[in-house]
Amino acid sequence: MTALAPEAVLLLLIWGTLVALDLVSVPQAMISRPLVAGTVAGWLAGDTEAGLRVGALLELFALDVLPIGAVRYPDYGPAAVAGAALAAGAPWELGLGLSVGLALVLAVLGGWSLKQVRRWNARAIQRRTAALAAGESGAIRLLQYGGIARDAARGALLTGLGLLAAWAVARGVQLDRQTAVGLTLVAIGTALAAAASGAVRSAGRGARLRWLAAGVAAGTLLAVLR
Amino acid sequence: MNGGWRALLRLLAVQGTWNYERMLGVGMGYAAEPLLEDLKTVDPVRHGEAVVRSAEFFNCNPNLAGLALGATARAEYEAVPGPQIARLRTALCSPLGALGDELFWAGLVPALVGLALVAAVLGAGWWAILGLLVVYNLVRLATALWALRTGFDAGMRVGSAIGASWIPRAVERVGPVAGAAVGLALPVLAGWYLRGFGAVGIIGALAVAAVGAAVTRWFGPSLTSVRFALLAMGLLVFFRWMGL
Repeated sequence: MTALAPEAVLLLLIWGTLVALDLVSVPQAMISRPLVAGTVAGWLAGDTEAGLRVGALLELFALDVLPIGAVRYPDYGPAAVAGAALAAGAPWELGLGLSVGLALVLAVLGGWSLKQVRRWNARAIQRRTAALAAGESGAIRLLQYGGIARDAARGALLTGLGLLAAWAVARGVQLDRQTAVGLTLVAIGTALAAAASGAVRSAGRGARLRWLAAGVAAGTLLAVLR
Repeated sequence: MNGGWRALLRLLAVQGTWNYERMLGVGMGYAAEPLLEDLKTVDPVRHGEAVVRSAEFFNCNPNLAGLALGATARAEYEAVPGPQIARLRTALCSPLGALGDELFWAGLVPALVGLALVAAVLGAGWWAILGLLVVYNLVRLATALWALRTGFDAGMRVGSAIGASWIPRAVERVGPVAGAAVGLALPVLAGWYLRGFGAVGIIGALAVAAVGAAVTRWFGPSLTSVRFALLAMGLLVFFRWMGL
């Protein structure tokens, strides 16, 4: 992890908050996709390549998730921001595994925090049940702004915690080369497993499965020819 | 449709108060407010009842919520009995959820992400990211605008309007594209990451991938891919610490 200027930390914090909000609350513009969140975070931390590597690998994990309704799913946005910040400045073969490991822990924590925000939203609604039953538009607006503010606070807290954890890991965890490379290989392998599982599950047994197989064949050819 | 643009903007935050009781309900009420403004002067009592109904339980894919929003707002102006509007909202939850999730979360998003991953690896860099964001947001904004207008035009007949629309056909077509895009991305990314690690490293990573895919499928939700990854990383660090 490169030493970050206070302005860079502030920008990462703001970016992490925005991507956390984007996941569910507003505006769902897909800036919360780890590929986007990680690459921009890498650029803010001064190492776009590291951000892209972390973001793309987390994106493979995210492809295993369908963010449907009340399903509890990891929040990869702020996690990608912290992971990219940790990976910045280090050779990616050595830093990727540890960064993705930290990001996955944060993503799980992010999923849990999302559930808490949903519960707080429900409690806020219960407190305003009478106003809602009376058809007060002001109460609806207040609830809406309150919900978004809670989610923003969640995102800021999660990103701040992630950046703090990245700083602590960078200072306190010294891995030998073999372990660092091993972690990177495990991260790559498990990410490929996640994306493959998600793709096969979504494909079912119809035309999509045949197109998936055709895509894998074309991709293999492309990878070999590069 | 007065207040349509404000309602459209508010639909972008329709999940802002997502919760386990009313789900999208309050967000729908927030988005409905500009659409129901004119009713306030015409029939204040009806307006109050409409506001109450607009914030009750509702759930669907956020990108198609405009269909329900427009349809129920139109029904309020047409003085359709309240229980009938409530039934329409309930009836729309499942189809709008299923169609929207298939179209966006299982279709468009993986298709665009898969293509963006391939483009990024092939050297498109920021253009890949920009392309993903621009195409996705153009499609979802156009869909949201169409949904709101179609819902408002159709009113209580919104079910027939959805059935006759482009949505069911698009759902059928986007799935195979998503499959092909993700399929294309997997080997390309594997090659990008693993090039330079040597035969042992490549075989090791692919073995982890094979084991991961098998055990997460075998154990189902109790062993998610993230849990497997953290477990595998933990085991590696433990074995290295033990000197193996």
